[in-house]
Amino acid sequence: MTETITAPQRIEVPTDDEVTEPDRPWLVIVWNDPINLMSYVTYVFQKLFGYSLQKATKLMLDVHHKGKAVVSSGSKEKAELDCYRLHAYGLWATITKSE
Amino acid sequence: MKVKGGRGGTVRLRLDETEASLLRNLIAEMQMLLEADIPDGDAVKQRLFPRAYEDPANEETFRDLTSGDLENAKLAALREVRDSIGERGSVEVEIGPDDVGSWLRLLTDLRLAIGVRLDVTEETMSAEIDPDDPNAGALSVLHWLGWVQGSILERIEG
Repeated sequence: MTETITAPQRIEVPTDDEVTEPDRPWLVIVWNDPINLMSYVTYVFQKLFGYSLQKATKLMLDVHHKGKAVVSSGSKEKAELDCYRLHAYGLWATITKSE
Repeated sequence: MKVKGGRGGTVRLRLDETEASLLRNLIAEMQMLLEADIPDGDAVKQRLFPRAYEDPANEETFRDLTSGDLENAKLAALREVRDSIGERGSVEVEIGPDDVGSWLRLLTDLRLAIGVRLDVTEETMSAEIDPDDPNAGALSVLHWLGWVQGSILERIEG
């Protein structure tokens, strides 16, 4: 049997009581659903975010073909407002922190 | 059903008596669904009031903050459309730029409720309706609502 010797590893000890969150934006994701019309999803992206027809159509096609798309991002408050507005329009939206 | 462009960016929608009565019934059912105390596990409720976060703590805060507003927004759109189509007979309404959002959101909620109950997939939605399917009636209603919504969208975008 060989004894495995592991190299000492540096352990990160927080120096402060408060752990500061890295400043990563929050992402609003819209998921594909089989019910909403493609023209409607495009309309909602234009209406809520002021996107051009071209950009809204591209996002809608991403949702449709890839199953989901990030449609907006920013502070937690902004992401929550955007997500709420998408829910009010019947789109299936969730919020996640960017990787 | 007939949809035409009206004056000043409005959309004129005409529904015959049968279509109007169908829409009134669907609206009444949706109102009951929104006002009733339905368990959170209900699939239609979950779709109309989706989770925002996977994380339970974030989700709880989000829900406390928004679910009342979301329910009120859905009911407000429903009432606006309900009041504009009257209680009986055929319908002829002029939908202005300020009302079109309510129409589109209500039609979406009606479609989501039917679609979730039927557990439709992309395949069911693009297939021809089989007349022997026990869900054939509900599927036709779902497609009809989509046709109304699509026609309104074409008018406001055209």
